[in-house]
This record gives sequence, structure tokens and C-alpha cells, in this order.
Amino acid sequence: MTVDEYPDADAATVEEVEPILRVRSEPGVSKPDPILTVEGVRRTFGGLVAVDIDHLEVQRGVVTALIGPNGAGKTTLFNLLSGFERADRGRWAFAGRLVSGMSADRLARQGMVRTFQLTKSLARLPVIENMLLGAPDQMGERLRIAPFRSRWRDQERDNTERAGQLLEQFNLMHMRDELAGTLSGGQRKLLEVARALMAEPRLIMLDEPMAGVNPALAQSLMQHISLLAMSGVSVVFIEHDMNVVAGISDWVVVLAEGRVIAEGPPWNVIHNDLVIDAYLGRSGRPAESTGREESS
Amino acid sequence: MMEFDVIFGNAARAAFGPEAVILALAAIGLNVHFGYTGLLNFGQVGFMLLGAYGTSVSVATFGWSLWVGIPVGLALSAVLALALGIPTLRLQAVLFAIATIAAAEILRLIIGSTDAIELTGGPLSISFDASAFYDLNPYAEGPQVRYGAGTFAFTGQQLWVITVGWTLVALAGLAVFLIVRSPWGRVLKSIREDENAARSLGKNVFAYRMQALVIGGVIAGLAGVVDAIKTSGADPNGFRPQVTFFTYTALLLGGSATCTGPVLGAILFWFLREWIESFLRQLAAEAWLPQPISDSLSGSEGVISVGVVGLALIMLVLFRPQGIVGNRTEMLIDDG
Amino acid sequence: MWRLMRRGTALLGFVLCVVFACVGPAAAQSDDGTKADKDADQDRADQDHNTAGDSDSTAQTTLEGTIRLGFDRYIAGVEITVTDQAGAEIGRTATGAEGRWSIAVPDAGTYLVTLDEETLPDDLGLREGQETTVETTVFAGMARAVVFAVGETPKATPFGERFAQRAFTGLKLGLIIAMSAVGLSLIYGTTGLVNFAHGELVTFGAVIAWYFNTSWGGLNLVVAAALGLVVCGALGAGLESGLFRPLQRRRLGVFQLVVITIGLSLLGRQAIQLFFGAEPRPYIDYQVQDRWEFGPWAVTPREVATVATTAVVLAVMATTLQLSRFGKATRAVADNTDLARVAGIDVNRVALIVWTIGAMLAGLGGIFMGLDADIDPYLGFQLLLLIFAGVELGGLGTAYGAVVGSVLIGFATEISTLWISPELKLVVPLAVLILVLLLRPQGLFGVRERVG
Repeated sequence: MTVDEYPDADAATVEEVEPILRVRSEPGVSKPDPILTVEGVRRTFGGLVAVDIDHLEVQRGVVTALIGPNGAGKTTLFNLLSGFERADRGRWAFAGRLVSGMSADRLARQGMVRTFQLTKSLARLPVIENMLLGAPDQMGERLRIAPFRSRWRDQERDNTERAGQLLEQFNLMHMRDELAGTLSGGQRKLLEVARALMAEPRLIMLDEPMAGVNPALAQSLMQHISLLAMSGVSVVFIEHDMNVVAGISDWVVVLAEGRVIAEGPPWNVIHNDLVIDAYLGRSGRPAESTGREESS
Repeated sequence: MMEFDVIFGNAARAAFGPEAVILALAAIGLNVHFGYTGLLNFGQVGFMLLGAYGTSVSVATFGWSLWVGIPVGLALSAVLALALGIPTLRLQAVLFAIATIAAAEILRLIIGSTDAIELTGGPLSISFDASAFYDLNPYAEGPQVRYGAGTFAFTGQQLWVITVGWTLVALAGLAVFLIVRSPWGRVLKSIREDENAARSLGKNVFAYRMQALVIGGVIAGLAGVVDAIKTSGADPNGFRPQVTFFTYTALLLGGSATCTGPVLGAILFWFLREWIESFLRQLAAEAWLPQPISDSLSGSEGVISVGVVGLALIMLVLFRPQGIVGNRTEMLIDDG
Repeated sequence: MWRLMRRGTALLGFVLCVVFACVGPAAAQSDDGTKADKDADQDRADQDHNTAGDSDSTAQTTLEGTIRLGFDRYIAGVEITVTDQAGAEIGRTATGAEGRWSIAVPDAGTYLVTLDEETLPDDLGLREGQETTVETTVFAGMARAVVFAVGETPKATPFGERFAQRAFTGLKLGLIIAMSAVGLSLIYGTTGLVNFAHGELVTFGAVIAWYFNTSWGGLNLVVAAALGLVVCGALGAGLESGLFRPLQRRRLGVFQLVVITIGLSLLGRQAIQLFFGAEPRPYIDYQVQDRWEFGPWAVTPREVATVATTAVVLAVMATTLQLSRFGKATRAVADNTDLARVAGIDVNRVALIVWTIGAMLAGLGGIFMGLDADIDPYLGFQLLLLIFAGVELGGLGTAYGAVVGSVLIGFATEISTLWISPELKLVVPLAVLILVLLLRPQGLFGVRERVG
């Protein structure tokens, strides 16, 4: 599927997406307008190299898929970039600002918001409270202001309204006041994405957002992701299903053994010999044993 | 004859007496730590210890006014929270539990040692002049003056302590209610549920935990201050690790992460404990009981009632994790 | 850098706590100025402190105290004299059987209390910095406690010899801790449970052997211990199959399990106290023994047996874990329970055996503790934090680490008494515990857990 086949794509959107289409398909290539630039990032676990990236750029306002066989280091890369794990070395910049080594919460406040492979819905809080947590800059989250309701009530009302809209979009409105722990696995995934969107991210990083979601919900989630990019949010997501990747991504980055072995538009990458080798483990070493997949 | 009115009166007196005030304050503090933030603090008694000794030492050793001593006690509790929290708040739950229980024991051992006698009275306990507090007592006193009925009766002085005590409980409860119903409180709960989720939404988990630790610690310090005033002093043996476990029992009994839970739990804890002890005391005196049984009963009431606390703790976790006022469905949710 | 600073601040906080206790003497001197105020307040304080019921009883104004070394040796026959500020003698007495003395004084006021150092036993003296005469103020109708810090007079023994002696005691303590720590660590490794009731298993072992040794047949201690261990093992197996396995099937969280073990700990300790009593009691056998001299060491046969037995038991445990099929299965389960289950290991059976052995080791530790000092219901709980310290120092979940960590903790605890008072020696392992948590939470031999 090419960008021209997007059902709702109007002329302006194609204009926006177009620059990435002119980029050459080679690992570590420069992009016209990168929101995230990664340089020399490396992480080892007891001698095993989990991530070792020379150079990688993520284009602003497009959907980038991160694919690779099990143990390629995809989640570890997410963890490093989002501040949940410490890199052995390397630097990376987000929206033109050097953020390597910054703590996870500060990165999130900068607008780089991630979700997790194993959902982290806050089980004993109602769905709506889960959503409200995502809202940025709530004054009432400061201890000094918290006791005085009048100081945060208006903001809370606005946030509740926005949360309601997102819940409508994600078909979760009927669960608004239920505890998040009562949701199905797929609904939790949706809730986590919706909650991340509450944080008004500039870059949203989704770790296997479709895993465990039933096909109908997955379809609507894919639509959301496409719409997100059109509204100017940059998206990076990890995915195993090639159909999903081909369906919604503008750009695909392939990781194997912690390195970027290929990148380019989906139709270009998926048939790349190196990628097929990496997935089928024909590169001499079995792909399964070369690194350790990070799970939660 | 079993005199159940006497047993009931004793139990009711314990349920509303100063011991229950102290337990309620400690449980309110623990509720902020454990109930809302999910911090497995096993050193709550350490905060109480510093509250009590901070006040006692200020007045008895340094000769300061009681009104200076109380803030000193509270400040020391806050300092403990900071000193303890900075290195240990990042540890996983069980290690944090062990670190806090160890820290509280270190404090008790040092304060109660012969080397600290000049400062804290060491193993002999410390006593000070709390007249600054008792001078304000508005209730009439005298050898015959009692407030209440039957065994549920207080002297004027006791009534003054519990009046102030329950006022403090109400104030602390209100303060906690105000801050936990806010977005700040919501962040605490999110940290309890999953700290990484909170982090991924831009919350500075460490800072929130630290705030919770200090607030809960100072409230526990207040419990220590009340203890010190009640007894006009402090004794290291009153601050053993089991005090923390009693606090957990009270909190779980009432319902953790609820506003009234810790207070109701503390009242019920002392009511049941005193009821059992009082009942056993009377039972031991019963004529129809075989001699060996009544012999082994008398003097063992305290031992048995603490054992019952242990049993209650197990039963609560297994059969009523939400306590008396908590929400059951909330407790049955899987951690996922 | 930031991490370093954080650690620095934490250390500072810790040091503050210690300083709090050490500024005592200096601070107390600034007390003099306020003394007059206190005297003026006495009468009022007196009235306020006596509740209505007993205010009419004429309470005596007394000075009193207890002369003792640590918490286990009370010294009788020590002469105490009280004089008023002018130097006139008010009273003179000698301490009774429990080291107690009490002298009534006519009025509230300031008195001088003098201890006659000559009347102390030969091996004891007043501690450094402790004057023979103490000035003290007493309120009317109250009893004021006066303290004399007594210590073992520094003997002429060379430092090396004292060090060697302490090191042996430390080794003994460390090995006893290790016995219990191995069980705790194995149970944590295989089932993920941190057992706060482990101390009560220790006490239970000591107490049950005491019953076999005394009232239930008066068996020789070795036989009594063997029988006791069988009961301990059965208790451990019962706890696992009757309580913890069903609980883990209910998928209780870490907190719930920990709280249940705390409840068990309280329940067990109180039950033991109910039947056994709170008074410390000794075993019948091997109490009075002549010391053997080996170079710098003077040790009782009992102590040699303790060290030898524990060392052999631990060596056998290590070999079993290393070589036997059960040992390999245990390590596999500790490493990755799910993988072990898939590989066909009967995880439940491993847990059952680990609980049985863990409880027996804890019980044996208790018996040796009881042989060393007497048995009381708090014996195990006092050991629990030392066990945690040993396990944490070695690395949570590693059996070898637990042994090494425990022995180091034993050394540190005992050797510290060369410099600090024996009363405070328990602070040392707890401080080590906190320092390890601070600097290396995975312990000496543990692997840092991955986050995220």
C-alpha cells in the first residue's frame, strides 16, 4: 500500500509526507526534518550486545515502524531512548535538544511519550482517572496547590472533557468509570495509547500496540495511528505483523542484532534480502540467540 | 460471674483512649505511605520514636519549652524521612521494607543504649515536665472526678489528652483527605499501581514518593509526640518493630487507601485487644475453670492478645483485604 | 556524579543520626542554667503527674539504679553512697541480687551519688568517661534513676589476642547466622517469598529441643536436637504444603505474602511465649565447661563443636547444591521457575524440600544460639535482622552468598566490640545492611536486576 492509497489523504497531507519519500533507502540515512537523532548508542548485557546503533534519524510527522526478529533489541532501544534504561554510551537529540541521559519523566514532559509491550494500565484506578493522569501540567499535581480545589478545578474540567473525547474515539466511553483492571487485554492496549495521547506528545513511541488486540479493534487503532501522523504527531512503533507495517507506516527501520540493517519505505524494505535473511536467520548465526528481548 | 459490662467498658475506654489516638495517627501516616503510594514502610515506629524522643530530649535534657520540643520532634521525623528516603526509595519493595525496619531498629538501639544516657536516658527511659500542656487542661480534676460511666471513664487529665488527641487525628485525617483527593493524590495512586507507567506519563516518581514519605513520617512523628506527652516521657522498649506491625493491622482492619479506614481501624484494634485481655482476665478468675488453665491464663492476657493480632493480620489479608470500609472489587483486581 | 552526591547526602543523613547520640555529654553540660527553673516547677509537676487516684498516697522521693553489664549480667554487692550538696551523707547501700539499689532522700533537690569502684568484681570497672560520683536532681515524690556505666576493664591482653578471640566469636555467630540465612535465601530463590517468620523457625528449633532435653524425657541434648530437627523439618514442610503453596496458587502479591509471614511471626512468637514463658532458660547439658587454650584462643568444647558442626553442615549443603540432582533442580528453579517447569522439574517438590531443609537449618541455628546464650521467645526475632543483613550482603537468592555474607556479618558484629560498647554491636550489622542496600543492592554475589 502506498501513501496515495490512503482513503482520506488529501493533497496537503501528501505534501507533508512527501519529503520522506525522497530519502534514499540505506541504513543511517539523513532525513530532511528529524525529530529524533540517535548517534553511537550502545548497550550490552553481560557481554551480549543488545543495541549498537551508529546513526539513526526519525522523521517528524510520519509513522515509522521499527521491526526486526526476536532479540533484535527493539524494546531495549525504546527503553534507552525513553530513559527507562541507561545506555553504555551514545547521544541522542529530541526536537533539536540533546536529551541523552535525561530521566524518563523529564523526557515524557518534553513530549516524548511511550507505551509498553506489556500494558501498564493502572488497575485500581478508574479508566477516566487513568486518562487524567496523562494530562500535562496539571497544577493540582503540585503538593502546595493540591489542597485548594479551586486552583485546579477548571483545569480538571477541561482535561476531563478532552479525556472524554479521546475515550469516545477509542470506543472506551462506556467503560469510563470502571476500574482499568476490569478491561480486556485489547481495551487496556487502547487505553494505554489514549492515555499517552492525553499527554499531548510530539513523538509517541508504541511498543507492539496491536499485540493481543482483536482484529476489529486493531483496525481502528491503525486508523488512529495514521490520523495521528496527519495531525502532526510523530509516531514510532514496534511491530511484528508485516501486514500492519505495510498498512500504516511511512518508513520502516529494521533492527537485527542491535544494529540498523536496513531502512526505507515499507514496499522497499520488506523485500530487501538482508531483512529476509535476518528474519529467517540465514546470516550464519541464528537470530534468536544473539541478544535478549526485553520484556517489560 | 463474667461481668460483660466491665469488659465492654474497659474495651471502650481503650478504643477512645490515648493509645488509640497514637495508633490512629501512626496509621494515617502509614496510609499515606502504604495505602496511597504503595511504599512498604516497615519502619513506621522509627518516625514515632523520633517524634517522642525529639520532644522529650528537647524538654528534659536541653530544658527547652515543650512548645519548642514538639516542633523539634516533628522536624526530626521529617529529617528521618529525607535521610532514609534519598538512598532507599529506589529500592524494590521488599528491600525498602528491610531497609526501613533496620533503620528504625538502629535508632532504637542507639537511643536506648547506655552510651546515650546523658542525652536520651538510654535504657532507663526519659521523663520530662509536661505541665506546659496539662496547665491548659479545662476539665475539672480531683480524686473523685471521673468523666464517663462504669469502667468507661476518664480523669480530667486523661480527657484533656484525648480531646486534643482526637482533634489532631481529625486534623491529620482532613489534611490527608484534602491532598489525596487532588490530582496530586492521583499521581500517588498511579505510582502505587505501576511506577513505570507514572514515569512514562512524566511524573517524577522519586519526588512524589519523597513527599509522601515525609508527610506520612511527620504524622507518625505526631503520634510519637502525643505518646511522649501522654506519658511525660519516652521509653526505648515502647518502640519495638511490632509497633509498626500493629499499625499495619489497624490500617488493614479499617481499610487501606481510605480516609476513615486508619481511624476506624485503630479504634477497633484497641477495642478488640482490650476486650480480649479483659475477657481473659475475668475468665482466669472464674471458679469453674480447671486450676492449670486459669493459672496459665492469668498474666498471659497480653501475650495472647498480641498473638491474636498476628492471627488477625493473616485472616485480614486472606479474607477481607479491603478492611471494614474499603472497596472489595478494587482489592480483587489482579496486578496484571 | 549526581549518583555520588545522592549517596553522599544519604551517608550524611545517616551520620547525623549517629551524631545525635554522641553529642550527649557536651549537650548535657549546658543544662545547668535551667536547673533553677526546674526546681521551681517541681511541685506543680508533681501534682500534675499524679492522677487523681493516687495523689493522696505519700510517695517517697528516692534515688535508684541498677548496676549491670549489658543486659545479661547484674552485679550485686556494689556500694553506693548518696550525699547532699554540702557533702553530708544521706544514705549508703549495696546493690541486691539483681544489681538494684535504692536510697530514699528527704526532699527534692540535687544530690551526689558515689559508687565505690573497689566493690565492683575484679573483671569490671567503670567505663571510660564515667565518673565515680554523679550529680543528680530529683523531684518530690518521684524516683530518679542514676546510671553508672560499667564495662569490662581494659585488660592487659594485647590487641592481637583480643582480636583473635573476637574473631572466633564472630566466626561462631556468623556460622549460626549462615545456617538460618541459607534457608531464607533458598526459600526466596525458589518461591520468591521473603519469610519474616524465619526467626520464629529459629526459636522453634531451640525451644522444641529444650523440651526434649528437659521435660519430655530429659534426653541428651544431641538426641534432643536430632528429634527437634525432625519436628522443625515437618513444620517447614507443613507450612509450605498447607499454607504457602495454596496461597501462591491464589496469586497473592509480594505485600500480602510478606504481611502473612509477619502475622505468622507474631502468632508464633506469642504462642512460644505462652507455652515456654518469657524467662530465658538454658539447656541441661554442656553448660559448665573448662576452656581449652589454643594459642591466643580460650574456647569451650561447646564452642568448638558449634563451629565444627555448622561448618560441616554448610559444607554438606554446598556440595549437595552443587552436585546432586536436587541441587541442580533447586538452582534451575531459582534461576527461572517457568523454564525449570518446562524442563520437567517438579517445582512444587523442590519448594517442599527447600522448605523442609530451610526450617531444619534454621532450627539447628536456634539450638546453637540457645547453647551459646539461653533460650527466650525473642531469640529468633533478634537474629532475623542479622539474617537479612547476611543474605542481603551476599546477594538475595544466592545460597553461597548468604553463607559468605553471614560470616562477614558475624565478624563485623563481634569485632566491632573492640571499639564500641557490646550493647551497640547489633547496630553494626544493621548499618552494614543499609550501606549494602545503598551502595550495592544486588549484594556481593548477586546480579543487578534489569529494569524497565
